Amino acid sequence: MSQYRLPMISNLDKTPWKSTVNGKSFVHSIDSNSILLDVLRDQVGTLGVKRGCDMGTCGCCAVLIDGVPKLSCLTLAQEVQETDITTVEGLSEGHHLHPIQETFAECGGSQCGFCTPGFLVVISALLNNNPSPDDDEIKNAIEGNLCRCTGYQQIVDSVRSASKILTSGNENLNGTEPLSNPNPGFVK
Amino acid sequence: MPKDKKKEIVGYRQQSGKLSFSRPGSGGKNSFSEPRNEELIPESQGGEKKQPWGGHRHDELITGRVVGKSTSLIDSKWKVTGKAKYGDDIRLSNELIGKIIRSPHHYARILSIDVTKAIELPGVISIATGQDASNKFGVLPVTKDEHAMAVDRVRHIGDLVACVAAEDESTALEAVRLIDVEYEILDSIHDMKDGLNDSNEPIHDRGIYHIGEANIQKRVFQEFGNIESMETNSIASHKKNWFFNGVNHAATEPHAVVADWDPSGRLTLYTPQQVPHYVHRALADVLEIPMHQINVHRTFVGGGFGGKSDPFPHEMCASILARKSGRPVRITFDREEVYWINRGRHPSHIEMNLHADQEGRLCGIQTDALIDGGAFASFGHVTTYYNGVLHTAPYEIGAFHYTGARVWTNKPASGAMRGHGAVNSRCAVEVGIDDISEKLNVDPISFRLANLLPPNSATITGFRVTSIGMRECLERVMAESGWKDKFRKLPLGHGIGIGCGFFISGSGLPIHWDPNKFPHATVHLKIDMDGGVTVHTGAADIGQGSDTVVAQSVAEVLGLPLDMIRIKSRETDTSPVDLGSYSSRVTFMNANAAISAAMEIRNKLLDATSKITGAPLKKLVIGDRRIFRKDDPAVGVSYLEALHKSQEEIGALVASGAYRTPPMGRAHKGAGAGLAPAYSFSAYVAEVKVDIETGQTKVKKVWAAHDCGKALNPLAVKGQIIGSCHMGMGQVLSEEMRYGRTGNLMNTDLLDYKIPSVHEMPEVVPIIVESNDPEGPFGAKEAGEGPLLPILPAVCNAVYDAIGIRCDELPITPDRLYKNIEKKCRKLKITDPLDLPSPRLELSELQLKLEKRANEHKIRDIKRRNESKIEPYHNGALFGLDPTIPPDEIDDSWKVSVLPSEEYLQNPRLAGRAWLHAERRHRGD
Repeated sequence: MSQYRLPMISNLDKTPWKSTVNGKSFVHSIDSNSILLDVLRDQVGTLGVKRGCDMGTCGCCAVLIDGVPKLSCLTLAQEVQETDITTVEGLSEGHHLHPIQETFAECGGSQCGFCTPGFLVVISALLNNNPSPDDDEIKNAIEGNLCRCTGYQQIVDSVRSASKILTSGNENLNGTEPLSNPNPGFVK
Repeated sequence: MPKDKKKEIVGYRQQSGKLSFSRPGSGGKNSFSEPRNEELIPESQGGEKKQPWGGHRHDELITGRVVGKSTSLIDSKWKVTGKAKYGDDIRLSNELIGKIIRSPHHYARILSIDVTKAIELPGVISIATGQDASNKFGVLPVTKDEHAMAVDRVRHIGDLVACVAAEDESTALEAVRLIDVEYEILDSIHDMKDGLNDSNEPIHDRGIYHIGEANIQKRVFQEFGNIESMETNSIASHKKNWFFNGVNHAATEPHAVVADWDPSGRLTLYTPQQVPHYVHRALADVLEIPMHQINVHRTFVGGGFGGKSDPFPHEMCASILARKSGRPVRITFDREEVYWINRGRHPSHIEMNLHADQEGRLCGIQTDALIDGGAFASFGHVTTYYNGVLHTAPYEIGAFHYTGARVWTNKPASGAMRGHGAVNSRCAVEVGIDDISEKLNVDPISFRLANLLPPNSATITGFRVTSIGMRECLERVMAESGWKDKFRKLPLGHGIGIGCGFFISGSGLPIHWDPNKFPHATVHLKIDMDGGVTVHTGAADIGQGSDTVVAQSVAEVLGLPLDMIRIKSRETDTSPVDLGSYSSRVTFMNANAAISAAMEIRNKLLDATSKITGAPLKKLVIGDRRIFRKDDPAVGVSYLEALHKSQEEIGALVASGAYRTPPMGRAHKGAGAGLAPAYSFSAYVAEVKVDIETGQTKVKKVWAAHDCGKALNPLAVKGQIIGSCHMGMGQVLSEEMRYGRTGNLMNTDLLDYKIPSVHEMPEVVPIIVESNDPEGPFGAKEAGEGPLLPILPAVCNAVYDAIGIRCDELPITPDRLYKNIEKKCRKLKITDPLDLPSPRLELSELQLKLEKRANEHKIRDIKRRNESKIEPYHNGALFGLDPTIPPDEIDDSWKVSVLPSEEYLQNPRLAGRAWLHAERRHRGD
């Protein structure tokens, strides 16, 4: 209970925090005990990183630190000085969505969408290392993420579908049309 | 993304402005519409879509566009890019952080609150206590029993005492620590059975309506049918005492709220809410300002499941703090606080008695449900009824006897959770039917198939049931799971089980309104010269895809692509009143309202086309962005031409559509609870593997058939079915709110509160059954809550099939199951559990009888759903009564009673004991 918390240590020494988030360099002055999740949400402004449990159980706050998925709620901001951090906002390039983002929307991988950023970040790391994971590899990759809406099945479907896009060559690289029909119901 | 990776991006290349947006007028230069997708057009409209269930009143509106096609949610792009703004993502400039001071005691009187030290802390801007808002609120108008913050007493650990707004979070937390509250501890109660007894200090006082001096919040007694003969006629009975632990919604987004008063004195409340309208009302009550001075802005909702469907005290707190400090205030819960606010499923003691007669008919269901409401009423009145009345279908029953009581205890309040009130008792009924079938030596699916109500019938409590796809659900899961080769034939440790479900599709009676005066749902449409359609609706999209369904309905009727539909559903300022996303009402009611609004626009467009082309109205149809003669498609105009013609006189086209339920139900007290314009049905088969030496249960595969009327968006329906399996699997195998010996909630985090992870999830085969409901939008019913019900009994029954043990407490954790295995071993004098016998089935003569009856009923059902003039059918016909007349009108022994008899009170069941107390107003003192 909040009453029994220890006194909050406020007005700690501020330390400069320097890192690259989604390709852009930031220098912020942070409390020395700041959690990365707080810095990302409150100072950097990447609100796509979600806070679900604060204790590393739900996976909503996952980010890539130098390409490796980490839970930002269990990471001190100090630990990740001078690193390259990617959040869900950094997966797409302008309006060019990462295949997993596109297939999440298409296959129903996202319902309420709150856990989605965490899943996307973890799965993008998986697909970067292994563009054609089998079912067990997919499940092992997302075992640290909780989703309350989808029952995971459509998330796994999305990964399979994204993997198909990634391994089927670069056919769509320069196309301007998405693979799927954005106006379902209309014959192209 | 690292720079060197950028070049490797494959997939979609899109740029704003270069997306393949639809042109509003029939593909631009084409004078012809693109060909209609005949596969989606019903036969009655000249298309190829087969309609085994007959036509529907909305058939003529089908343009073959989007309804019935898997459609990704229209807001999914926001979600996958991180641009979706949930409660805590609303950041207003100059905001303050609010924190809540919560009670450390179960039940205590507040003697004093000393805030002097806290207010002196630099950075603390304002502090509020219960004195700042003394008006009560609550989601049901009859049980307003909550305060923004405790006024005199705290009623559970975590109850709100005061709140503070400060410049930053650490200052706010420090202020929370500095506030001294002096309590006088009162005797708390934790066991719901104690709630039935008189108490020195009941948790609430309901004045003259208070029941005895006990902590009984609501009691229900219902008797229908041949109560007297049900036991005498029975040849097989089932009796079981269940205990269901409470479960929490555990939505991934913790509650959060931002309150902001603008300079003109209006309040905007940003909140992830399922029912913005009730918050709107409650805020007006508590803050004592008129409703038109409040704008409730629904943010994206990170999962609701019922957990965000009450007006909440922290929403009041944020508003009060913001008013006091003149700055926006944001309050975000941590995960622990989510468990303190709770509103999860009620912990319940349920006694289930079932009786079957020699014909294999269910001649009686007796249910007694004592449910633990926690400290507040929430939706409790309704839950108490739902525990009983929602198992009066899909089976035809000879008698129904229900006693239910909801008591207050000093725990976080229980409330509405997916499958509201129906889940636990449904599990008990379905396991009972499995047991009775075993005693009768018949197949449980055959037993069910021979006892189903037909379409267009009335249940024993007088609910009007229109379409029923139960039989198809059962037949589909039986065929696809290979039931006949597996049931009672699998080796020890492997099992298969069946469970069914029945759920309301929208509540027939709204909570606040007289249904004869106001509609349940209203949708406004506006089309200006650009051709895009703006839809104003108050339905809250909580991830289930309600925005998408409304957009689909409008797009379908007007023959437009989805990207021309813009949904505005966020703010009460701009949205017409909608009762919110609960009781699975949104698709049914809101899409119906949207269709009727779109029909108005459609008529205007057809009129204009008729004026331009001279073609008679009856010959015109709407295709893809084009309106043309059915018999000569070359004669027609583009959508834009027709639109501009009809705008000549009036400018922008506006239309309003509304939905209200038809008059339904009977007259007895409580007849309105459980009434719905349509009901959904589902049947699941689950296959499990039980590790006999550890008691660990693993669900391997689930075949899940759900009758949703018509799947407007099959992708979303499948998502709901699989997601429901996930949530139900959690309740049956791992999730529980664990209260310790002193009543403390012990698992207030997601580490100890065990939601199934991806490894626990079985493969789910979603099977959509479409029964084409006559009143549903394009035939649709609900798919959000009903699919949760059958998974619990299916798993319980599968565990029995595997090892011959029926658990009586959920969740079936390994320790509980292993205790039962040990018990059974001792009983059978077996030392090694691996030698346990596996249940087997020898079919009796009754089986043939049941199969014959099921076949006859199947023919009856098909006839009933295709007939143009349908004879009434009342529950009771299976027992030889005239189906066209309500049985109580022809049979004197057919009871309809909502008050217990003296005789019953001599020997009441557990919850029935609530009737031993008299209400204060009847005590004559």
